[in-house]
Amino acid sequence: MEKTYSNKAIIVSLVLPGIITFIFAILAPIILSGYYSTTDFSGLGDFTFIGFDNFTELFKDKTFWTALTNSLLLAVGFIVIQHPLAIMMAALLDRKGKRAEGFFRAVYFLPNVISVVIIAYLWKFIFNANFGLLNNIVEMFGGKGNINWLGTGNAIWSVLIVLIWHGFGWGMLIYYTGIKNIDPVLYEAAAIDGCNNKSMFLRITLPLMKPVIQVNVTLAIIAALKQMETVYLLTNGGPGNETQFMANYLYKQAFSSFRYGYGNAISVVFVAICIIATQVLNVIFREREER
Amino acid sequence: MKKLFSLVLVLAMILSLAACGNKDDDKTGDDNGTSPTTAPDDSSDDDATGEAVTIKVFTNLPDRTTGQGFVEQTLFDSYMAENKNVKIEVEALDDEAYKTKFKAYAAGTTMPDLVSVWGQPGFIDEVMDAGLLQELNAADYADYGFIPGSLDGFSKDGKLYGLARNTDVIGFYYNAKMFQDNGWTVPTTYTELLALADTINAKGIIPVAMDGGDKWPLYIYMTDLLQKIDGTGVMQKTADAIANADFSDPSFKKAAELLREAASKGLFQTGFETTDYGTAKNLFTNGQSAMFYMGSWEMSMATNQDIAPEIRDNIRVFTMPLIDGAQGKATDISAWNGGGYSVTASGAQKEEAIKLLNYMFKPEGWTKLAWENGVCMSAQDFSQFATGNETEVQKQFTELVKSATSLSGTPLGDMGTSEFKTQSSDLTQEVSIGVKTADEYLQGLAGASK
Repeated sequence: MEKTYSNKAIIVSLVLPGIITFIFAILAPIILSGYYSTTDFSGLGDFTFIGFDNFTELFKDKTFWTALTNSLLLAVGFIVIQHPLAIMMAALLDRKGKRAEGFFRAVYFLPNVISVVIIAYLWKFIFNANFGLLNNIVEMFGGKGNINWLGTGNAIWSVLIVLIWHGFGWGMLIYYTGIKNIDPVLYEAAAIDGCNNKSMFLRITLPLMKPVIQVNVTLAIIAALKQMETVYLLTNGGPGNETQFMANYLYKQAFSSFRYGYGNAISVVFVAICIIATQVLNVIFREREER
Repeated sequence: MKKLFSLVLVLAMILSLAACGNKDDDKTGDDNGTSPTTAPDDSSDDDATGEAVTIKVFTNLPDRTTGQGFVEQTLFDSYMAENKNVKIEVEALDDEAYKTKFKAYAAGTTMPDLVSVWGQPGFIDEVMDAGLLQELNAADYADYGFIPGSLDGFSKDGKLYGLARNTDVIGFYYNAKMFQDNGWTVPTTYTELLALADTINAKGIIPVAMDGGDKWPLYIYMTDLLQKIDGTGVMQKTADAIANADFSDPSFKKAAELLREAASKGLFQTGFETTDYGTAKNLFTNGQSAMFYMGSWEMSMATNQDIAPEIRDNIRVFTMPLIDGAQGKATDISAWNGGGYSVTASGAQKEEAIKLLNYMFKPEGWTKLAWENGVCMSAQDFSQFATGNETEVQKQFTELVKSATSLSGTPLGDMGTSEFKTQSSDLTQEVSIGVKTADEYLQGLAGASK
């Protein structure tokens, strides 16, 4: 067996399919993207090499910065609102769920099962200023009921609520699985020592969940940066570019404005930001572990 | 045993590579725009018999049972019935999705044979420049009755690359019964329109349902206002402004201010900037709004059985009212030739696609069917097909075009490049909701023209 594993031909033959897939599906597109980002390609016909003009323009582009800010705002929203709630809900389900555990787990995960298109339209109708559910509720409680939820000033918060709500079940499920893997003996021992629920959560659940939290937070930040479908369907970045997000802006430039070269420049910066974010998170978590 | 194990591993690798290879092949086919399930059949049909022909059509009319999609499908069905060897495969998507996939097709090596196009610089210039469209023989259409100028947008350097489908006129559809019941009259001036909006709002009804989410109706509204401000030469003025990146002409500012004034005074529904086409139309067809700002292609609402009869039978239309102190007359209207068809240069069935196109646009084809079904006004002379059973709104649109003293031509956002279209759409939306001032808007338009 050992000989088989040390046979170079065998090693190469096993690794090759993965490498080929990686080269053609990931590496080559990234390199091509880098190349096109230095051209004025419209996606049709000929193009010329323009050096780093696209990048210079990008850093002066107000919409790009709005999109980046919104993406980061969403990442913060995920970390500060969605994930603490998801951990607490997972712990609550585990400790207090009893027979209803499975039911609630399914209920919270439901939004993830429904198609994004349906989710987006559902919320579009809930937010509709003229006949939406939300305004009807406001009216029921004596309000005027003419709030423009997706209008200027409100739109970004409405979008954030939908995105946080939509991703909540997924985060919760991962935390729930993590909690389930904690040895119940620890809780029993703590209970014998007179530990209350709060201390158990803070001193047993949270510390043992660190690896899960690390994975989940990294995934959340990448998801925030990559956000596209829900925003595209809900507001398409509007009004104006108020709810523009990185991926949606990239798509808009490449496929609506027919600025394929510029779109690629955004994608190159986008990939760089994703890599930096992942590295920063790794450093943060590693430092914590070392302490 | 070890050798056997190695052999199994190597075999597994070869199989996995082969599987990857197959998948890649499939994907390539998909990227090139051929339908993965039918593409192999097509080629085998062609090769085997030499007679069977499959024409691939890519269209922006996804609803095949009502409106223009119905007319298109009817023509395809009758063409297939008359030409037994021809099979027409239709792929249909909504406008925006259509334009995106059109580009994906264009990036491949083979395009569908017959495609929907827009004879406006914002769409067709880049497509013509890239050599994607097949030149048509203009002489073939000499007796097709195309309205003079309707094919200009589809031509370049004296060569014809497509045929126009419709003459589009923009207007305010209104619910005549609602107007009558409430004692409202059709406004003749812009001031009256805004005053009417106040009255309608006071009743708890939306005055005008506006599709501001898609943004293009807003820049059409701008052009509509410009037409009433200037009366003539709007298209040339817009073209010059884009060419010189200079929108300092006072008419542009005036139009932008009037658009903003309308929105701020509640002419449109709350949240019009995020309302999409379908929702805006539903507000009108459900009786929640008194008016709906849209083009003549929606005249088929008057024959749409899904709309309640008390609304359907009372749909009428008026055009942008006069603006105080401006030059435009009531008969200076906003109209243009937008959508149409082209045959692609890289399509596998060019000749057959041209035959189909010519069949569709024989006067007794698209023009007759579209008119008789109350769908839209063709870009060809349709007067000979008057049945006497036309809906009121059809008659009104016919009269509007007949009595028109000048037409606006292509709307503002469609006059420049795709990038200009995207930016001007955003900017027009922003000025309408007051996020940008009229001056900032015009500076933005100038910037987008560069």
